[in-house]
Amino acid sequence: MPVGTWRWEGSGTLDAARVSIGLTALAMLVVVALGTPMALYVARCSPRERLWWQAVLLVSVLLPPLALGILISLAFGQHGLGLFLEQFGLSMTNTPLAFVVTQIYVSIGYYVLGAIAALDSVPRPLEQQAALLGHSPWSVFWRITFPIARLGFAVALSLAWVRALTEFGAVVITAYYPAGLPVAIWTSLENFGLPAVMPLMIVFLVTALPLPWLAHLLAQRRSTQRA
Amino acid sequence: MLEAHIIKQRARFRIDCRVAVAAGETCGLFGASGAGKSTTLACIAGTEVPDDGFVRLGGETFFPPQRRLHERALGYLTQDANIFPHLRVSENVGFGLTNGARGEGEAWVRELRERLQLEPIWNQPAHAISGGQARRVALARMLARKPSLVLLDEPFSGLDRHLVRELLATLVDWQRRLRFTMLVVDHEAEILERLCDRAIVLEEGHVVQDARWEVLHADPATPLLAQLLSPL
Repeated sequence: MPVGTWRWEGSGTLDAARVSIGLTALAMLVVVALGTPMALYVARCSPRERLWWQAVLLVSVLLPPLALGILISLAFGQHGLGLFLEQFGLSMTNTPLAFVVTQIYVSIGYYVLGAIAALDSVPRPLEQQAALLGHSPWSVFWRITFPIARLGFAVALSLAWVRALTEFGAVVITAYYPAGLPVAIWTSLENFGLPAVMPLMIVFLVTALPLPWLAHLLAQRRSTQRA
Repeated sequence: MLEAHIIKQRARFRIDCRVAVAAGETCGLFGASGAGKSTTLACIAGTEVPDDGFVRLGGETFFPPQRRLHERALGYLTQDANIFPHLRVSENVGFGLTNGARGEGEAWVRELRERLQLEPIWNQPAHAISGGQARRVALARMLARKPSLVLLDEPFSGLDRHLVRELLATLVDWQRRLRFTMLVVDHEAEILERLCDRAIVLEEGHVVQDARWEVLHADPATPLLAQLLSPL
């Protein structure tokens, strides 16, 4: 099927890219800040407790995005947390806040599960030896655990980034506005057809690809250095 | 003084072992493989938690309650070298030194580097060195802090015989100079006899004899101990 002449103007490409990149970056900051201690806790707790936490995390990964969007809408709706947030002038419908919160929900499971796997790759005796050499748990994390697991963390973050950036099903329910790239692709398809969608797909790839690609590049360089 | 009573359930038996080593004394934990020696040492070091009993060093109680690892003033060399692969050899050796101690301990670190023959690999990444070199790096890293209690778990396994002879002499010399308390686990009596004045003998988690080497040789408490002490 011929696409026709690509339509670069009038489809809000730059605005959508700005919304997607800016708000996804903000969501990733929160995901790392919350997800890293969460992953540390789960990776170091008892095997039985760990199974429960992993089940909870898998729920957020396994639920269809549309269902997740509905759940978030219910949780932050007028009878839920939304009422509480409105006291502070914060709205959870079609706002940047709703966009960021939704992205956090859909991506944090991927980050935490990836980070747990990264932490599992660090031999526990190395951390114990560092502690016996007088280093506090905080110092052990920064000087031993994180440097050894950092590529695993980078891959976990890149997965979360891709998941959040490509999110459509949940975002379209909670934050149709401001429109990020996936929603912009949908509205462009509806309003202008394929010629307006193709440029957006190019912008999408250009913005979404660098971070996960860089993580894999670093992983490859490191394994080459080790060999 | 190190005083410990370690009680810990293992798959086949229950460890119930009392250890007392005076300050500056050297003592071996001797027995056949699988007798519970390494677990006892790990419980004293704190990397494993005993089911019951106590661990005390000087006036400080390490267990119970389980004291955090970084608050224990001891050096622990495990069977695996556990060197930090992302750091250089020099960074591994200096890992336990604070900024202040790094300056004061410069001469000591230089001595460790020379006598443990680490000079050729000093600036190499730790992941690129051999297993024997890794064990010497781990020994230097542990001793760099001059701990008052040194726990060694089969410190020379996998090393060449000529190197073992040199390291034994070096370690004995350092122990006499620095007067640290030393508890060593090994299943080779020959090594323990060179390092330690006396030995606590374990069989299936229980102490069967605690005596100086001449007594152990003259009057072994069990047939298994007699076998372990007899020449090949």
